[in-house]
Amino acid sequence: MNERLLLGRSIETGSWVHKLDARSKLTGMLLYVAVILLSDSWPSMALLAAFSIAVMASTRIPLKYFIKAAKPLRYLMLFIFIVQLLSVKAGDVLWSAGSFSLHEGGLRLAAFSVIRMLFLITFTALLTFTTTPGKLNQGLEGILSPFKKLGLSPDRITLMISIALRFIPTILDEAQIIMKAQASRGADLQELPLKEKARMLVSLLVPVISSAFRRAQDLVYSMEARGFRMDAPRSRYHRLRWGAADTVFVAMFVIMGVAVALL
Amino acid sequence: MAIQLEQVSYTYADNSLWKQTALHEITLGIPKGSLTGIAGATGSGKSTLLQLFNGILKPTQGTVQVLDVTMRAGEKSPKLLPLRRRVGLVFQFPEQQMFEDTVEKDLCFGPLNFGMSPEEAKERARKAMLEMGLDLGLLTRNPFRLSGGQMRKAAIASVLAMDPEIVVLDEPTATLDPVSRAELISQLERLCREQGRTIIIVTHRMDELLPYADRWILLKDGKIAFQGSGGELAADPDILARCGLGVPHSLRYWRGIAGRFGLAGEKPRLTPESLAELIASLPGAGTSGRPEEEGGCP
Amino acid sequence: MSEAYQNVEDAEEVQAVIKLEGVSFGYDPEHPILHNISLSIPRGQWVSIVGPNGCGKSTLVKLMNALLPKSGGEITICGHQLGEETIGAIRQCIGMVFQNPDNQFIGATVEEDILFGLEGLCLSYAEMEERLRAYTVKLGIEDLLSKHPGELSGGQKQRVAIASILAMKPGIVIFDEASSMLDEASRDELLRILQGMRAEGQYTILMITHDADEILASDRVLALHGGGLAADTTPQKLFRNIELLEKCHLLEPYPWRLARELQSRGIRVDVPASEKELIDTLWPYN
Repeated sequence: MNERLLLGRSIETGSWVHKLDARSKLTGMLLYVAVILLSDSWPSMALLAAFSIAVMASTRIPLKYFIKAAKPLRYLMLFIFIVQLLSVKAGDVLWSAGSFSLHEGGLRLAAFSVIRMLFLITFTALLTFTTTPGKLNQGLEGILSPFKKLGLSPDRITLMISIALRFIPTILDEAQIIMKAQASRGADLQELPLKEKARMLVSLLVPVISSAFRRAQDLVYSMEARGFRMDAPRSRYHRLRWGAADTVFVAMFVIMGVAVALL
Repeated sequence: MAIQLEQVSYTYADNSLWKQTALHEITLGIPKGSLTGIAGATGSGKSTLLQLFNGILKPTQGTVQVLDVTMRAGEKSPKLLPLRRRVGLVFQFPEQQMFEDTVEKDLCFGPLNFGMSPEEAKERARKAMLEMGLDLGLLTRNPFRLSGGQMRKAAIASVLAMDPEIVVLDEPTATLDPVSRAELISQLERLCREQGRTIIIVTHRMDELLPYADRWILLKDGKIAFQGSGGELAADPDILARCGLGVPHSLRYWRGIAGRFGLAGEKPRLTPESLAELIASLPGAGTSGRPEEEGGCP
Repeated sequence: MSEAYQNVEDAEEVQAVIKLEGVSFGYDPEHPILHNISLSIPRGQWVSIVGPNGCGKSTLVKLMNALLPKSGGEITICGHQLGEETIGAIRQCIGMVFQNPDNQFIGATVEEDILFGLEGLCLSYAEMEERLRAYTVKLGIEDLLSKHPGELSGGQKQRVAIASILAMKPGIVIFDEASSMLDEASRDELLRILQGMRAEGQYTILMITHDADEILASDRVLALHGGGLAADTTPQKLFRNIELLEKCHLLEPYPWRLARELQSRGIRVDVPASEKELIDTLWPYN
């Protein structure tokens, strides 16, 4: 299983979460972010963990996929952990050497930050694993539709997102090839001193950008040739349907929020 | 041998962004100064194989020996920069990797990276242009203003400018028109025959390379399905079908004639000229053919 | 093939689905990319458009559905004269398959890609479902519906593009070097799809190509050179006209070249259909 699969791709298992309306999943996700931010004690963290794992398990998608989704950010999480650990000087001193000391409060905050981030990523992955990009977009459009009155155009936003999701993996692939090609012409970023690296960056950026423009032009031709016009009326194949399960799903997050706030 | 692979396997790391075929226990040898064709269906591992030749990829099992550099799986490989100058790797659509505002600057990029002086690099650039049959007047032009065929040749010249002993090309003729394709292949053959460079070409149009290649390597699902001369391939064209490839016209016609006259052991005549020459020399062909009135051609 | 072409030529005026009169394109009037092109294509014809790279083939077809703006002349498609108000109707008549399989894949999955055009036509759910089923079965991609483009081969992506376009039921389908980035097996497959489309008889096909097999399968050849129409001929005549081939940067297919080489050595043979036919012709009594 390659990692590109995990970027904006759904894994079909037919679980109840898969069948939910994308709007309820998006709402649940927003509430979940609030719950994460509200959790600031070990018991609430434990509750959060139990809840998250239960929901993830109910999708019938193997847990290792969720862990894989967080893997690319492991160094960032480690960095945040260390920075918090070193900079926060609150609570009891755990260990010290000269003017240097580690505090209990620092450890706690550092651990919380990392746990929050981990859950945030794995849970966002849940959204993309269980919803095809098309349905997700439609859900987003549904949620944003009240903003139409404010002059916002939800279909433009969702079109933009869907094209970005569609082409980012392609462009990343291409960047890899260009990197290899320039390395074959002696521009290996790994084997060069820092000053040279900046110069080499031009040899990567110019081809990547010009290729992105070429793709954009092709895509525009292709969309226009299929009769696409911005803001023209369209029918929908997948319709949004809010059912009882959706209400239950959203309610779960509300209850979690209340529970965490009380703990 | 210019390149020797012993029991080489390559598996993509799990966290690779890539979707490419792995290679399984590849053993092959490519002689110095030869012109080798590599063919195989999409996803057979051709592009992966090429990247082992200049150390862009390192074997996960087995030994890759290129010129005097040896890369063993699991061992720290020697510094690869010098090897990359000696093995020019031309990726697909190389014109898309050009980035400077003149052809000359783009051609000098490689040589400068490998530590040549600016004068030396310019001299190499001029030589490379001539080697690809390009006009020196194009050097001051913007690469993006050249025609498709010229742009492709200039991009290949930017690799030749490093003066590599081995040149490896991944589908160099893709999307070019037939005349530009034939020109490019004959230009590459000249590099091999006149300058003694080892040329390796991945193609999915075997027809255009068959008359020129000394050796063929056919890949199927990451394994070697065939390795040998064009003559050996002509003797057993079924192997092509097993690799998901069509049997080119030139092979089919040669097989037909050779089978009829028991010439299977001879060097195959794979160009229309050479086959027509042979047919004309065979008994009866000139006389028992169709009467003139029925020949539909002007 | 040439006979059929003669017949339709007579009734051309009434049947033409594509009609260009004095069409030009170019930003600099001194050096137009296309200059004063007039042509007429009857319904149901399969036309190859050939010429060297950069001769304006791709530009010419993009003028027909206003992907590029013509700078002069008149274009009439399916009875609609091209103008601001008719662009929508004309784009419904013309489907286009482009060269790069990746860049014309709009949706995130095969299903979404096919639906993109259908939703734009404001079709009902039942109609979309029917077309989705019919055209994925027709192109043999019914098992790929939930696949992401990254999981498909170039040939599969081109089939998705064709399904997406045919599902919109255009009368004219234009292939802009659609096979040039494909491998051999996928090229053969595309040719079979085209032959199937011709057999159905409801499509007018325009195909920009360098591929001899594709050209030979078509009814008529338009050769562009230096921004103008250099020849309007048949595939058979094109491959016998060495001068024109050279002008268009084309090569004869192997059997044609072999026949010519044999003829130049005094052996009179027709272009053989196979090696067996050649041998049987040359040595009929052995």
